[in-house]
Amino acid sequence: MIKYLTRRLLGWLLMIVVATNVTYFLAWGFLDPRSNYVGRRPPLSPEEVTQLLEPRNLSDTVPLVERWWNWFSGILFRWDWGVSAVGESVNEQVAYRMWISAELVLGATIITAVLGIALGVYTASRQYKLADRVGQATSVVTMNINIVVAALGIVLLAIGFNDLVGARVFYVTGSHSRDVSGFFPVVLDALQHLTLPTLALVLVGYAQYHLLQRTLLLDNINADYVRTARAKGLTKQKAIRKHALRTSLIPVATQVAFTIPAIFTGAILTERIFGWNGMGRYFLDTIGDNDIHGVVAIAAFGAVLTAAGAILSDIAIVVLDPRVRVS
Amino acid sequence: MSLDQVQPPVGPATTATRIPRKRMSLWSLYTRRFVRNKPAVAGIVIFILLVLFSVVAPLIAKYDHVELDFLNLSSPPSAEHWFGTTSAGNDTFAQVAIGLQRSLMIAVSVSVGTTILSAIVGTAAAYFGGMIERGILLVIHFLMVIPTFLILALISNDAGGDWRVISLILILTGWFFPARVIWTMALPLRESEYVNAARYMGVPGMKIVMRHLIPNIGSLLVINFALGVVTAVMAETGLSFLGFGVKIPDVSLGSLIGYGANTITSAPWLFYFPAGALTLLTVSMALVADGLRDALDPTSAAGGQA
Repeated sequence: MIKYLTRRLLGWLLMIVVATNVTYFLAWGFLDPRSNYVGRRPPLSPEEVTQLLEPRNLSDTVPLVERWWNWFSGILFRWDWGVSAVGESVNEQVAYRMWISAELVLGATIITAVLGIALGVYTASRQYKLADRVGQATSVVTMNINIVVAALGIVLLAIGFNDLVGARVFYVTGSHSRDVSGFFPVVLDALQHLTLPTLALVLVGYAQYHLLQRTLLLDNINADYVRTARAKGLTKQKAIRKHALRTSLIPVATQVAFTIPAIFTGAILTERIFGWNGMGRYFLDTIGDNDIHGVVAIAAFGAVLTAAGAILSDIAIVVLDPRVRVS
Repeated sequence: MSLDQVQPPVGPATTATRIPRKRMSLWSLYTRRFVRNKPAVAGIVIFILLVLFSVVAPLIAKYDHVELDFLNLSSPPSAEHWFGTTSAGNDTFAQVAIGLQRSLMIAVSVSVGTTILSAIVGTAAAYFGGMIERGILLVIHFLMVIPTFLILALISNDAGGDWRVISLILILTGWFFPARVIWTMALPLRESEYVNAARYMGVPGMKIVMRHLIPNIGSLLVINFALGVVTAVMAETGLSFLGFGVKIPDVSLGSLIGYGANTITSAPWLFYFPAGALTLLTVSMALVADGLRDALDPTSAAGGQA
C-alpha cells in the first residue's frame, strides 16, 4: 500500500516538474519583462533596462537555456522561485496570498461537498417524490449559472439587504478590514467578508455532487448486498447508511478531490468580483505585469493542487473501499 | 375433416401480430422520448429563441452596437433604448444581441471542434491499445496537470481578442477531458464481433475507428456536444470577463457582464440583460443535454418505455 502510494507520488512529482518547466518556456514565448520599463519617465535606455533585469534573471540578452538553468537551480537548491520584473519576491507573494485563497476555497469545498452529498442521499431515498423533483430541477439550474452571474447577483442582493437593514452586515469587497483587533471581532469580520464569496462558490458547485450522489445511491440501493442486509432485519435507512452509502461515496470522493483545481479556477473569478487579494488576483496581476516567475509559480501551484487532488482520491478509495484494502 | 379446422383459431392475440405494423424508425423513437421530457422541450425552445434573437435583433435595432448616442449616456431602459445605454452611449440592446451572437459562435465552433478531436483521439486510443493507448493517456494526464486556464489567458492575451483565435485555443485545451471519457466508453467496443470481423477482413485500423467505433458511440457524442456548448460558453465568458477574451470593439456576453459589473449599483441594467441572456443560454442547453441523454442513452430508464 505504502509502496503503491510512493510510486504514485513520484509519478506526480515528475509530472509537476515537467509541467512547470514547460510553462516556463511558454511564458517566455508570450511575456516580455522588458516592456514593463517602456514609457518610463525619465525614459530608460535599453542598456539600463538590461542592467536592471539581468540580476533578476529576466533579461533576454542572456541565452534562454542559461536563464532557465539559473531559475531552475534556484528552486532546486534554495527553493527560490525568483523575482518579478520590478523585484518582488515570488516566494513572499505566494506564501501570503496562498492562505487568503485557502480561506475561501477550503471552506467552500467542504460546504459544497457535504451539502451536495447530503442532498443526494436525501433525494435518492425519496425518488420521484416532490422533494426529489424540486431538488433536481433546482440543481440543474444552479449548476449551469455562470459563476460570474451568480457572484454578481449575490452582490446585488447583499447590497439590497445592507440598505434594507441600514448597516453593513455583508462586505462586498475585500477579505479583511484593516482596523479590527481582538479574537472575536476578527472572526466576525472574517465571516462578514467570507459569506458572500463562499455562497457564490457553493451555489454553483453543490449541484454536481447532489446529482452524482443521487444517481450512484439509486444504483446501489437495489444491489444484492443491500437486500441481504435488509433481509437480515436492518431498516431501510440503516441499510442505506451502513452499506449503500459507503460504496456510492467512492466515485463522489474521487470527483470532489479532482475538482479542487477547478474550484481554484472558479475562485479566480470570485476573487476578482469580491476584491480578494489571493492567488486568483495574483494570477491576473502576473499576466498583466509580464511577471514570468510569478506565472510559472502559479502554474506549479495549480499542478500541485491537481496532484494533491489525485492522491487524495486514491487515499479516499483505500479508506472507503474494503475490497482495495484486502488485495 | 375440413382444412379450416386444422388451421389455428384466429384469436385477438394473433391478429395483433399479423397487422403489418411499421417498425418505428430510430429518429421517431428519439423524438418521442425527447418530447416526453418537458424541461428539455422548454430548453430547446428557449435556445432557438435565443438564436433567433441574436440573428434578428441586430436587424430591427434602432442603433448599431458601436454607434454612440451622446444624448443618452447611462440611461435606463426606455422606448428609445430598450435595454438602456452604457456610459459611453452604446445601445445595450444591440450590444447584447451582438454579444450573444459572438458567444454562440464561439461556443458552437468550440464544441464541434472538441467533440470531433476527442472522438478521434479517444476511440483511437481504445481501438489500438498497447503503446498507442498508453502514450495517449500519458499525454492526456500530462495536459490535465498544466493549468489550462493560465495557458488560455497567456495566448488569448497575446492574440488581442480575435474570436477565431480564442475558439482555436479553447478547442486545443478542451479536448482531452472528453477524450478520456470517450476512451472508457469505447473500450468495450474493441472486443465486439463486428470490429473483430472488420479486422480479420483486413480493414485498416483508422478506417475501423472512423467507420465502426465512432458511429457506435454517436449518441454519446451528441450529448457531449450539447454539454460542450455549456462548457465553452462558461470558459469564453469567464475569459472575456477577466479581459483576456473578446476585446473592444468586438463584444461577447462575458465582456458585457464585465462592463456591467463596474456599474452594478449605478446602472444595473448593464448587468441584468447580458447576465439574463447568458443564464438562459447555459441553462437551456443543459436541459437539452439532459433530454438528449434520456432519449439517446439505451441504458437510461429515465425515458420510460419505447
